[in-house]
Amino acid sequence: MSETTTTTQEVPAEIERFDIIFRIQHVLMFTTFLLLSFTGWGLKFAHEPQGLSSVWIRVWGGAETAGLIHRIAGIGMLLDFIWHVIYLAYLFATKQMTINLKTTVIPLPKDVVDVVKNFMYFLGLSKEKARFGRFSYAQKFDYWAVFWGMFIIGFSGYALAFPMQVSYIIPQFASEWIWQLLWLMHSDEALLAIVFILFWHFYNEHLKPEVFPMSWIWITGKISTEKLKHHHPIEYEFLFPEAAKKNKKH
Amino acid sequence: MVSQLLKYIILTKSFSCSLEQKSHIIEVLMSNSRFLFIVVPLLFLAVLVMPTPGACQESANCLACHSAMKGKIKNAGGAMVELNVDADKFGASKHGALSCTDCHMRFADNPHSTPSGDVPQAVLALSSKIASKFKVDPVAGAACSTCHEEVYKMVLGSVHGKNIVDKHQMDGALCLDCHGSPHYITSVKDESSPMSRKHQVETCGKCHGDKKIIEKYKLEENVMESYEESFHGRKLFLGHTKAPTCSSCHSSHDIRSKTDPASPVFGKNKLVTCGKCHKGANEKFVPAITHKRPGPIPHYGEKLLIILTIGVFAFIVIHVLLEAFADIRDAIFRKKEEEE
Repeated sequence: MSETTTTTQEVPAEIERFDIIFRIQHVLMFTTFLLLSFTGWGLKFAHEPQGLSSVWIRVWGGAETAGLIHRIAGIGMLLDFIWHVIYLAYLFATKQMTINLKTTVIPLPKDVVDVVKNFMYFLGLSKEKARFGRFSYAQKFDYWAVFWGMFIIGFSGYALAFPMQVSYIIPQFASEWIWQLLWLMHSDEALLAIVFILFWHFYNEHLKPEVFPMSWIWITGKISTEKLKHHHPIEYEFLFPEAAKKNKKH
Repeated sequence: MVSQLLKYIILTKSFSCSLEQKSHIIEVLMSNSRFLFIVVPLLFLAVLVMPTPGACQESANCLACHSAMKGKIKNAGGAMVELNVDADKFGASKHGALSCTDCHMRFADNPHSTPSGDVPQAVLALSSKIASKFKVDPVAGAACSTCHEEVYKMVLGSVHGKNIVDKHQMDGALCLDCHGSPHYITSVKDESSPMSRKHQVETCGKCHGDKKIIEKYKLEENVMESYEESFHGRKLFLGHTKAPTCSSCHSSHDIRSKTDPASPVFGKNKLVTCGKCHKGANEKFVPAITHKRPGPIPHYGEKLLIILTIGVFAFIVIHVLLEAFADIRDAIFRKKEEEE
């Protein structure tokens, strides 16, 4: 990302990890996600537990209003996703972002090795934790889960919200089964997304002792170099090679 | 007129004494003119205040006994007859203003004597057609047609009606199977009606969710579950005011088999039926709602998604738990090592 760092001697106290646009995109993503989860949950479990979902949906203003909230939040999330992709394309086009194996969010074979290494460590089979670049496998998993969700849940959701418009573009041979498939995809993968956020994202970014109550990067966008060195040593060495070398000597 | 009223009041309002005692009281009252001028107006006022069962006097006469009677008896035809009529509920129903004999035009056996006046030929003819359905009082069952002639004709021409009239089966739905007891019929807009938005699906489900009936008539076997699973069913259950119920798509009195070209869900008719709510419904849109079980693609597609979900879930839960335990372990046992 920043080619100039190789020449700087000074190590700043903190560096920017996510710029303001990424942070806004994240806020939009999680507000729409929460709205969608809350309203969608009532519909997915409409019949059970007995009558409770009706009460829950009434909290959201009744079935019509909850449906409207769900659709608006869904469109908001899709737009947010599209904005993110366009912004990434812009960063690449203007060379503000380049792909580097040490800083990329793209999954690499190293990530599988890291998972195995960490499991060994958890089980006491190894004394070494995996060393991460800019993004750990947990963070990459978090990031790409949203992409998976946008393709599976987002587009099926769009088709279900605007079935008439979408019906014109679906092929004739698929019309008999595609609607049921879309509905199953939307509902099952949404449950997966909620479970994923509840366990994975909440543990890693909220409940873990070292970040509790939350990692503040989502507001400040900044990470202290101390933390960077500790949690993302490969990125630290990449950004501040001289300082890293000095540290090793000491 | 005054004495008639007095008789009525005593007969209907004081249940603590027997009928003989009542008639004795009436005689005593009649012989004393003072009662007629003092007590009767007072009683008349009381009548205005007290809730009266039914609106007409003749109903009240019947209800004097039938609102107090409990249980069932077997009639000559071997059918069980419910004796109790809840006077308040009857009075509040759509038919509360009718008199009993408007429908009960003729009594097949004692203890009642048939009221004067002939049963209309049309009703009589109809009653013999539907006799297999109405074991208790086929004439009363046919009497609905005196007011609801057009609707009754529709029902008889429907798949439900034909099953009774042509095939002489007991199962076909007639008025009461859907609208409930004739004495307590309320508007479909009333939540308590079995045809209300709240209860319609379960009412249809009495037969269409019944395995015996589904097998007997080779009906679509998954209609209730598929409706409940569908967006329509879920929304209705959650209180959506426009979500369709059974009759929204299948029509009501004029209901047809799905193989009948006149059915609103037959072939291309669906375009019109779905189009009532979904403007511009086309042939690729209408298969979105069906009572058929999911085909192989959605079925195995869902299996795959479930495997994926369970796989991911297992991974993240195991990872999170192991990491948490390792953190605790490190905090307790390995802190010193790091300090050294």
